[in-house]
Amino acid sequence: MNPSLEPRTIGSLEQMWRKSKALFSVWFAHMTVYRAEILIWMLSGVVPLIMMSVWIGKAAASGGEIEGFTPASFAAYFLAAWVSQQLTVAWVAWEMDFQIRQGELSSRLLRPLDPFWEHFFRHFSERFVRGPFILIIVIAGSLIVPGTRLTPDLWHVLLYLLVINLAFAMRFLIAYCIGVLCFWLENATAFDEFFYVLLTFLAGGFAPLEFYPPAARAIIEWTPFPYLVYYPARVLTGALTAPEILHVIGVQLLWIAVFFVLRAVLWKAGLKRYGAVGA
Amino acid sequence: MRRYWRLIGIFAASSISAQLEYRANFVVNVVGSLLTALGSLFGLSILLGTGSSLGGWNQLEAIVVVGVFTLVEGFMGVFLYPNLNKIAESVRTGSMDFTLLKPLDAQFLVSFRNIGILRVTDLLIGLGMIVYATAHLGSSSASGVLTAALLIVAGFASVYAIWLMLCTTAFWWIGVENITELFWGFFRAGQFPVTAFPGWGRILFTFVIPVAFITTVPAEALVGRVEIGAVFGALGVSLLLIVISRVFWRFALRGYTSASS
Repeated sequence: MNPSLEPRTIGSLEQMWRKSKALFSVWFAHMTVYRAEILIWMLSGVVPLIMMSVWIGKAAASGGEIEGFTPASFAAYFLAAWVSQQLTVAWVAWEMDFQIRQGELSSRLLRPLDPFWEHFFRHFSERFVRGPFILIIVIAGSLIVPGTRLTPDLWHVLLYLLVINLAFAMRFLIAYCIGVLCFWLENATAFDEFFYVLLTFLAGGFAPLEFYPPAARAIIEWTPFPYLVYYPARVLTGALTAPEILHVIGVQLLWIAVFFVLRAVLWKAGLKRYGAVGA
Repeated sequence: MRRYWRLIGIFAASSISAQLEYRANFVVNVVGSLLTALGSLFGLSILLGTGSSLGGWNQLEAIVVVGVFTLVEGFMGVFLYPNLNKIAESVRTGSMDFTLLKPLDAQFLVSFRNIGILRVTDLLIGLGMIVYATAHLGSSSASGVLTAALLIVAGFASVYAIWLMLCTTAFWWIGVENITELFWGFFRAGQFPVTAFPGWGRILFTFVIPVAFITTVPAEALVGRVEIGAVFGALGVSLLLIVISRVFWRFALRGYTSASS
C-alpha cells in the first residue's frame, strides 16, 4: 500500500499549535517578499470599485437614490464587497496544478503533514500582507464619497471576521476541489477561471442582490456565490438582523461541510491515481 | 519593411501550428469567452433593469460599448499576452540577449513573435455584438463605421503602447511579472460608457487611464453621435502613447546589461 494513503493525524493539540505557528511564520515571511506582486493582484481586482462608481453615477442621475440605496450606502456596500473579495481570494487550484504536473507533489507527500495545511497557511498568511493595503483603500474610498460609514459598530466587525473566515474556507475548499481534478484533467485550472467569471457576476461584487431579477436571485441564493461576497458585505455594513446573520453562518457551515467531504473523497481517489502512474 | 511583413506571416504560422496541438484548450477557451460575454450582457441588463439609461446610453447602444470592449479584450489575448508578457521572463533568464542579437528591430521581435490563436473567439464575439446591436439600432452611417474602424485600430495601438510600457518596467523590476494585470483591472471600466461614471470617474478613465478613448469613443462613432473633437482626441492620444512607449523601450534597452552581469 502506498504510505501516503495512510490516515495522517495532525497530532495532539499542542503539536497542532506548534505546527500552525511554524507554518504561519514561514509563509508570512515568504509572502512579504512578494508584497509588490500581491499589491498588483489586489489592484487588478477592482471590479467592485468600478461598479461602485457606476452605481453612484446611476443614483446621482436618478435623483439621489435607487431602491433605498444612496451614494453613501452604495459606497459602503461596494467597499465591503471589495474587502470581502480581497479576503476570499484563493489560487490553490493553480498551485495544485503546478505540483501535480511537475511531480513536486511527490516530495510533499513524504512529509508527515497533509499538503492541505501548507496550501492553507500560504493563503491565510497572505491575508496579513493584504491587510494594510486594504485599510488604505477603504479609508481613501470612504473619503471620496462623503457620508460613507462602512460599519455601524464593533459588533458587526467581529461578526464579519467570523463570516469572512467562513467565506474564505468555502472559497478555499472549492478551489481545492477544482485543483484535485488535475489528477484527471489537463485543463482543470480552466474550471477555476470559469468559477471566477461566475463569481464576478453572481457573488455580489457587481451589484447588491436586491437589483437582480427575482427569478435570478432565487437561483443564485441556492449557490455558494452570495455567501462569498454579498452576505459578508451585508454583515459588515450592518444591513442584516441577528437571525439573518445566524442563517448566513448556518448556510456557510453547510457549504463548508459539503466541500470538505467532497475534497476528502476526491483527494483520496486522486492520490490512488497519482500513485498508479508510478510517480 | 517587406521583410517584416513576411516574418509576421512566418511567426504566425509557426505559432498557430504549435497551439493546434492542444485541441481541448480550444473548447475551454470558447466556453470561457462565452461565459464572460454572457456575464457582461447579464450585468448590463441588471444595470439597465432599474429603469433609466446608463449615462445616456440605452440598452442596444450600451451593447455596442460591450462589443468594442470585448474586441479590445480579444486583441489583448491574441497579440499582447502571448508576446509582451514574455519580456519579464526573458529578462530574468537572460534570453533577451538572443532577441537583441538578431538583425531585426528588438521591439518588433518581442511584439509579434506569437499569436494567441485561441483567443480569436473574443474578437469574433465582440464583432458579433457590435454587428447585432448596430443593425438593430439602424443609426450608424458608412462614414461612422469607417471612423469607428479607424478609432478601434487606434485603440488597439493605445492598449499596445500602455502594455509595452508596463512590460518594459521588467528591465528594472524583475519581480513584478504580473504588472499588466494592473491595467487589465482598470480597463474593465471600459465595458461601460464613460458617461456612466460620476465626475471623478470620468476624469480618471479619460485622462489618467484613457479607457474612454479606447471603448466609448469608437462606440460613439458606431451609433452615430461622435464629436469630431473626441475623434482627434483619441487619435492624438494613441499616437502620443506609441511614441512615448517607443522612447521608453529604447531607454530601457540602453540600460540593459544582461542577466548575469
